[in-house]
Amino acid sequence: MPHPLLAVEDVSKSYDGFKAISNLNFYLFDGELRTVIGPNGAGKSTFFDLITGRAQPDKGRIEFGSSPTDSHDLTTLNEYEINRLGIGRKFQTPSVYVEHTVWDNLVLSLKGPRGVFASLFKRLSSTERDRLDELLKLIRLDAKRHWKAGLLAHGEKQWLEIGMLLAQEPKVLLVDEPAAGMTDEETRRTGELLISLAGRHSLVVVEHDMTFVRQIARDSQVTVLHQGTVLCEGKFDEVQSNPKVREVYLGRGKHGTR
Amino acid sequence: MTMTPSSFRPAARVAGSELAVTAMIALLLIGLLPLLHATGQISTFTLSLWGKYLCYALLAISVNLLWGYTGLLSLGQALFFALGGYMHGMYLMRMIGDLGQYHKPIPDFLVFLGWTKLPAFWEPFASFPFAFAMVFLVPGLIAYVFGYLAFRSRIRGVYFSILTQALTYAASILFFRNNLLLGGNNGFTDFKFILGHSLVDRGAGPATMRGLYLVTAVTLLLVYVLCRWLNGTKFGLVQQAIRDGENRVLFSGYATTHYKLFVFVLAACIAALGGALFVPQAGIINPEEMKAQNSLEAVVWVAVGGRGTLVGPILGALCINLLKSWASRAYPDLWLIILGGLFILVVLFLPGGLVSLPARLAPLWRKRAADPAAVTKS
Amino acid sequence: MMNRIARRLRLLALLSWLGAAALAFAAEAPRQTIVRAILVEDDAEKRALIGTLAGQGDDAIRTLLIAWRSDALFVYAAPDGAKIPVQLTGEKDDKDAQAALRVDNGQALQDAAGRPLRLVGGDLKAVEHDSNLRRAMKAVLDLIDLVAPDPARRIQAIQTIALAQDLSKLPLLQARQKDETDPRARRALREAIALIELKDPKSETRLAALAELKELHTLSSSDFLKRALKEATDQADRPAIAAATAALQAVDLHRSAVDFFGTLFRGVSTGSILLVGALGLAITFGLMRVINMAHGEMIAVGAYTTYVVQNVFGAGVTLPCFGLNLHLSGMNLEGAAYQWYFVAAVPCSFLAAACAGILLERTVIQFLYRRPLESLLATWGVSLVMQQLLKLMFGSNNVQVGSPVYLSGNWTVNDVLLGWNRVFVIGFGGVIVLGMWLVLTKTPLGLLIRAVMQNRGMAACMGVRTTRVNLLTFGLGSGLAGLAGAFLSQIGNVGPTLGQNYIIDSFMVVVVGGVGSIVGTVLSAFAIGGVDQVLQQYLPAWAPGLSWVPGIGSFLQNLAQDAAVFGKIMVLGAIILFLQWKPSGLFSTRSRSLDE
Repeated sequence: MPHPLLAVEDVSKSYDGFKAISNLNFYLFDGELRTVIGPNGAGKSTFFDLITGRAQPDKGRIEFGSSPTDSHDLTTLNEYEINRLGIGRKFQTPSVYVEHTVWDNLVLSLKGPRGVFASLFKRLSSTERDRLDELLKLIRLDAKRHWKAGLLAHGEKQWLEIGMLLAQEPKVLLVDEPAAGMTDEETRRTGELLISLAGRHSLVVVEHDMTFVRQIARDSQVTVLHQGTVLCEGKFDEVQSNPKVREVYLGRGKHGTR
Repeated sequence: MTMTPSSFRPAARVAGSELAVTAMIALLLIGLLPLLHATGQISTFTLSLWGKYLCYALLAISVNLLWGYTGLLSLGQALFFALGGYMHGMYLMRMIGDLGQYHKPIPDFLVFLGWTKLPAFWEPFASFPFAFAMVFLVPGLIAYVFGYLAFRSRIRGVYFSILTQALTYAASILFFRNNLLLGGNNGFTDFKFILGHSLVDRGAGPATMRGLYLVTAVTLLLVYVLCRWLNGTKFGLVQQAIRDGENRVLFSGYATTHYKLFVFVLAACIAALGGALFVPQAGIINPEEMKAQNSLEAVVWVAVGGRGTLVGPILGALCINLLKSWASRAYPDLWLIILGGLFILVVLFLPGGLVSLPARLAPLWRKRAADPAAVTKS
Repeated sequence: MMNRIARRLRLLALLSWLGAAALAFAAEAPRQTIVRAILVEDDAEKRALIGTLAGQGDDAIRTLLIAWRSDALFVYAAPDGAKIPVQLTGEKDDKDAQAALRVDNGQALQDAAGRPLRLVGGDLKAVEHDSNLRRAMKAVLDLIDLVAPDPARRIQAIQTIALAQDLSKLPLLQARQKDETDPRARRALREAIALIELKDPKSETRLAALAELKELHTLSSSDFLKRALKEATDQADRPAIAAATAALQAVDLHRSAVDFFGTLFRGVSTGSILLVGALGLAITFGLMRVINMAHGEMIAVGAYTTYVVQNVFGAGVTLPCFGLNLHLSGMNLEGAAYQWYFVAAVPCSFLAAACAGILLERTVIQFLYRRPLESLLATWGVSLVMQQLLKLMFGSNNVQVGSPVYLSGNWTVNDVLLGWNRVFVIGFGGVIVLGMWLVLTKTPLGLLIRAVMQNRGMAACMGVRTTRVNLLTFGLGSGLAGLAGAFLSQIGNVGPTLGQNYIIDSFMVVVVGGVGSIVGTVLSAFAIGGVDQVLQQYLPAWAPGLSWVPGIGSFLQNLAQDAAVFGKIMVLGAIILFLQWKPSGLFSTRSRSLDE
């Protein structure tokens, strides 16, 4: 069995007595694209909070590393240390710097030294400029590079945030509801982008939209969260036909509960 | 539009008109006022008054650096201003020598408290370089320790404001005590010499005052240039990103604590520099100068001038203090009401301050000119 | 019919005359003795007569003897030749004449027509006194209070006698011990006898006295014991040294207990003051997230309302009021009716501050929800304006707010001083907390407040009129500040900048308690109050321990002597360190939805 890049073992977290996550086990392997689905309140956001250091688990172990010798205990690190290890996160509500231009948003996210003094004397190299141009084309905001990010449409902000994530060149991307607020066309293209990233990066995508999940999951693993724990794991079709899943999620007679 | 290789931010590039305005103001302040004084057109009192305003402008810049650009509303800047003043004041007190009223080699208030020899920590302040270093070190260190503790425990927003206000309050009641051996509520005054130059009204005094004014004006210009440069660096980008969305910055791998700490210490040093220049020109420093109210007043200058802009704080500090000088003489009973009312109005109706006024009025003006092209570009 | 009433009235008059006569008879003896002492020529007889007064508890004795000593007794030769001793009292008029009271009955001296006579001292024969006589008088005066009807005065007399440690007074005190019934006075007597016996030549008596003092362990005996210890050491009197040391230890133990309980009491009452000041803030800041820098001025509004109500109950007041010199006429109430003013002032203060708060909410704050920094700045502007308005209305000097009798006394329980106003503030704080809890949990308004504060948008969708709830909540918070002002007017000065003294403390209390938690606010108020008082009490004692700090040790020692200031700074330091441990305060109500 290969070494998991991200291992979450027996993790629990409660807020004021409410168990958001209980005894969760989750393994992500290098280059994998994992989709996580689950009804509202299943603990998906808390799950991301725990991995990215925004919240500390009450118990359990969260390890990150490509081999047993190069392993980090994420529960002892804070947000920026975890990010520097190579875990990037896209928030559910698009979180971009609204007063900065699209270009500046990407510049801030570009991989490189993050220290105070490094930033005082930072100059963009031509390689970095090329990389930014390339990213702008990829997220289709090339023409709007000098726009203030606050002026972008909702979908465009989502794309910008994905672009910012890519600029960091992370090993793992945690993507929270990327398709929310997008048109069908935009959603389809987002799916294609995510699929193209798998392999080079490892991805965890949380999504409600079942059409979108079907598109990106293809034959990779899908994890179903329910009441803070893993209900089942498997291929999309298996999961969809699982009676337990149908009961808690799909059984409500709806496709997606946006 | 293409990027210029030197700048991160096309928006931050110096607009020609702004540069012209700034240069003109600088020329007026650095060139014209001292000239008028040298030729006897304006009194030393007036020149020193302007000198004090420029020191206040430095205080306003420090507030703006924190509040306008980083989103940290510090109500402790008056403390750092006063601390800088006290450090320089200690040097000036030592320079009095035995020319005090008691004709003893130690400052008068120490004689009054029954001291016969100088307390140990007063000893090195006879050296100007030492005092000059302390002007930055003491406020910087206090800002570092306080900032480290505050930012580490993620104290943000209004909590930060309240805590800095409490810090200032605590310091001010401490400085009112005689036991601190820093002059109690009278503070330091009756200075005689600075670097061998006379500070008294007669003889060479006016020339020294002109020199001090010039140093202040040039310092202000340099600090302005520093801020302008800072604003154009990636540091400036991070700083403003923290203001607009600290979480995102944190999740982008930046240790926001370090950035905030750097800005806090830098701002403390700028405020302290302002205070140090203030003392010889005002001729006095006492705990009144570090009242929490002074910090808030500095915030008013920034708000009125325009927060988050480079010229705004300078403009605000000058305008409000000119207004204060006039109103507190013409309407002494109403001055606080004017100040408070002005502040309420600016916060409610003109969040961008005076600097934003032209841009706000422009559409009205353009509408009259009936230029539809202007509407599309924001 | 009329006849019957007239007869009854006559009867009544007769009865009251009889009563007055009986009283006069009872008071006759000492007055007559003094008259005789004045008129008799022989000095020895004078002294003997005065001496017979010793141990009698008539107030007239004191008045007359003091008047005698201070040359206010004269002999008036009546037109019929009788010599009438009189006391001249009161202000001299333009003819230097004063009112004259007869020594024999204390009534005004009257001429033949029954009009009160006014006499000039210089025209009369003054009653003489020499040093021997004065000594005799003093002996009488010293003892006179021993039998005063008021136990407090008896105790004071006992303590005065003890202070002199005069062995000759011992028999008198011992005689008193048999008659004294008040337990506190009995205790004072025991202490006084023991203290005097310290001077006894017999060493057994002295040892017994030391043992007695050890048992009594009163704070006042400490100095005497130290002196006794010193004497014993000088004489190398081993048993006396041991006994004195033991007694001193007992006193010190008692003293530390008194300090402890006194500190505890002051801590609780300081906590209550903080709590009263902070509760309003806990609502506006804690529940509404509005930083109201003008909260302190709301407190001042409450305090000034109390001032106005007090004057309306009393003699009225002229307010500067923007130079208009507005006159408020008072109701000129006196006695118990006047004392009710504070009870009336409490609801008035609440209403006045609540109205000011509602006005503030409508004009400024309603535009600034969700912009806490801006609300901080705008309300600071409001605070400046309000301070100046108060200055223009009431003058820039502090105004005098008198305390009603039920707030101006104090109890001493086992040497611990309990001021009534401090006891009252504790109760007041308790009542307000209870009231607030009831309002928030048991009334429809409380339900609405909590709903709006938790989720403004959702509450609005559910049909709650959020603007009205905001208005009422802010009014409630400001009203509480007004209540605080009413109370704080009894504790400190009332001036235009009154609020500034409390605003920072109040914010600290709310931040430490955890924003939005009333329980947290209560706990943090008591914690901060307690720590503050402990530091004030014990810092001077701890100060010498600071000498180890290199270089500035003695400087720090010096500084720590300023316990009030240094204590405050240490409290702030402690708060900052506390926030390292619990950044969101004692009781964090931060839920996930608020986090973003």
